[in-house]
Amino acid sequence: MDFTLSDDHKALRDSAHVFLDKEVDLGPLLKPGATVADVDYAGLWKKIVDMGWPGMVVPEVYGGLGLDYVDLIMVVGEMGRTLAPAPLFGALAGVWSVLAAGSEAQKTQLLGGVVGGNLSLALAIADADGGYEAPGRGVSAEAAPGGYRLTGSKSFVVDAASADKIIVAAVLDGERRYFVVDRTASGLEVELVAWRDITREVATVRLDKVPAELLSGSAEDAWPFVRDRLYLVLAAESAAGAHAALDQAVEYAKQRVAFGRPIGAFQAIKHQLAEIAGQGECANVAVQYAAWALSEGDPRASLAVAMAQSYNSEAYRDATHRNIQVFGAIGFTWEMKNHLFYKRARCNAELLGAPASQREQVIQILEREAA
Amino acid sequence: MDFNFPAEDDPRRQDVRRWFEANPSPTYKQIAQRGFSAANWPAPWGIGADAEMMLIIEEEFARAGIRQPSAFNPIAVNQCGQSLLTWGTEAQRQELLPPALACEHKWCMLFSEPSGGSDVGGLRTQARRVGDHYIVNGQKIWNSSADEADIGVLIARTDNSVPKHQGLSQFIIDMKSPGITVRGIEDMTGEEHEYCEVFFEDVRVPADRLLGKEGDGWRITMEQLQTERQSMTKPGAVWGAGPTARELVNGLIQTGKIRQPLVRDEAARLYIEGELLRLLSLRNLSNKINGKPAGIEGNIGKMMASPHGQRMTDLAKRTQGVAGMVKDKDVLPLPAKEYGRFTDWDYAYWFSPATTLGVGTQEILKNTVAERVLGLPRDSDPSARMPFNQTTAPRAAA
Repeated sequence: MDFTLSDDHKALRDSAHVFLDKEVDLGPLLKPGATVADVDYAGLWKKIVDMGWPGMVVPEVYGGLGLDYVDLIMVVGEMGRTLAPAPLFGALAGVWSVLAAGSEAQKTQLLGGVVGGNLSLALAIADADGGYEAPGRGVSAEAAPGGYRLTGSKSFVVDAASADKIIVAAVLDGERRYFVVDRTASGLEVELVAWRDITREVATVRLDKVPAELLSGSAEDAWPFVRDRLYLVLAAESAAGAHAALDQAVEYAKQRVAFGRPIGAFQAIKHQLAEIAGQGECANVAVQYAAWALSEGDPRASLAVAMAQSYNSEAYRDATHRNIQVFGAIGFTWEMKNHLFYKRARCNAELLGAPASQREQVIQILEREAA
Repeated sequence: MDFNFPAEDDPRRQDVRRWFEANPSPTYKQIAQRGFSAANWPAPWGIGADAEMMLIIEEEFARAGIRQPSAFNPIAVNQCGQSLLTWGTEAQRQELLPPALACEHKWCMLFSEPSGGSDVGGLRTQARRVGDHYIVNGQKIWNSSADEADIGVLIARTDNSVPKHQGLSQFIIDMKSPGITVRGIEDMTGEEHEYCEVFFEDVRVPADRLLGKEGDGWRITMEQLQTERQSMTKPGAVWGAGPTARELVNGLIQTGKIRQPLVRDEAARLYIEGELLRLLSLRNLSNKINGKPAGIEGNIGKMMASPHGQRMTDLAKRTQGVAGMVKDKDVLPLPAKEYGRFTDWDYAYWFSPATTLGVGTQEILKNTVAERVLGLPRDSDPSARMPFNQTTAPRAAA
């Protein structure tokens, strides 16, 4: 039993920390009315690709680094801490989808492209109502000469606009299967939505008879596999983001003077920040335990990631809301960073289903264990 | 990083298990002689067990169905006895520790006073040196097990001409000394006395029962409170004891109450909190394995664990509806397990308001976390720097 991070983990986190502190500039987003288009999504991504991060979770047999999930949260945590605007979420979702549903040849080809830095991926699976239930309703597939054609639309697709290829979940003969389409294919339209978290690109993807290649491995359990890993990604972002929001609020409370004292001397402020610190500690162990459980293939891994995603979503929301309250009215303005964290927190909590839906998963797992 | 517990075939575990198999109903004296009472203490008292070995021993005690000395005699074995290793004399150790670890002497803590529990530093009980004795006068309150204790760990003021935290000293006293009166407190649960109040009237304490030097009392007491709070991070309903959220959810599943949508969501929340508190307390253990000292993070643990316990017992009680307002211990089914004093949800529920009061109120813990962990400015205490005898406000007339 050892809950501490190894020196390798810390070194990875520290290098990501230094890199992102240098490269991430949220300044352009702090102009009122700014959108994700105002930030250099592609430019930062190029540098991240040079760091080799897209290949982090690609197994070595496909040319990747084959790092484990504890390694992954070192980097993802730093991305979350800095709100780094870059399509890592889409890349990871794509990689895991290919790993879960692709044939050997497809894995070799697609993951090789990701590792080589000349292929960006995204995953289109949610329907317009935000649901992820199989088989889904949004897109249907039909056989066509030389492959398939997809028609319909998918919603809340993260990083579709910057992807070279999009993995699309579509219904084929009543079952959910996974297909690969070119983002530039004719009949495919990517429309950015006015996603409240302007550090992340989210789009609706519309398809009209778009030529597609079927991922021909087994599609069974592909989504739970991908979803569990994406829970980990969001939970890691949330834990780190909550700590960033706490740190900023503590710093501000030490400096801001009112009634002749730093406002952090007042118990009304102290007690609220202490509460956030407690939730932050729990969020940290939640995500570390979940990362370890996934890495080990532990039987409780699905439980661990659902717990982490649910708890950390709410801890992040509480921390960022409290952060705005401690800053006072200035924290409510667009030109401050506070709202960016708050919006990330809220969007992370809803993106893969609300925290209550993960709690339902937790109870269902416990009911099965008790049966 | 490794969240695995020591395995079933771990040779250290096998060793402990074999001893319990050879001694199926050991006395606490035998347990102490084997070094399992306070296993983390160095020989000859313990076996110098590291945190992982402590976990093994805890699990093997539970497996053997034996209440651990640290649960039966917690003040001696967990909170205070250890202070004798660092602050005590050899004579004190030889006299006091063997009967303590054998649970022949039960210990109690004598810290809080009617005039202040959170502000322990402002306590008023006096210990005046007269020849080879101290003469103690004053009153303590909220003392667990004082009515059955043989030994009391007393903090009293030996010098009121210095600021309040500097004039305190700690004594290990005989509770049977003439002049000590112990009265049980009728707390709101109406159960048998958990707490007592203790009155001192010209009690003679031999000078060789002073722990450390005069004036060391505050530091020693703070060490003991940190140790106590850290042990309270565990996810049990009452300060780490009693049923946990795992038992809560199992009880709700068994009774079918888990199918009610609001109960379901709340139970899931509590289960998650409980698991995270379990991980936090294991992390404290893991830090100990790695040689990190017991730090103030114990305050965070207790700050999170006490309200968690309150929410748990509250949900358990609410599932009974109006029937739960009748004195009735049958709340939810509980598997057979060592729960310490809190063997049912009903008692744990009616006791639960105490959990954010005892061992540091929730407000004091939040101050400590804010000031010591987050580094926010200290609360001003106008009395902290002036001689104590110039600060004492007159007692309000009763």
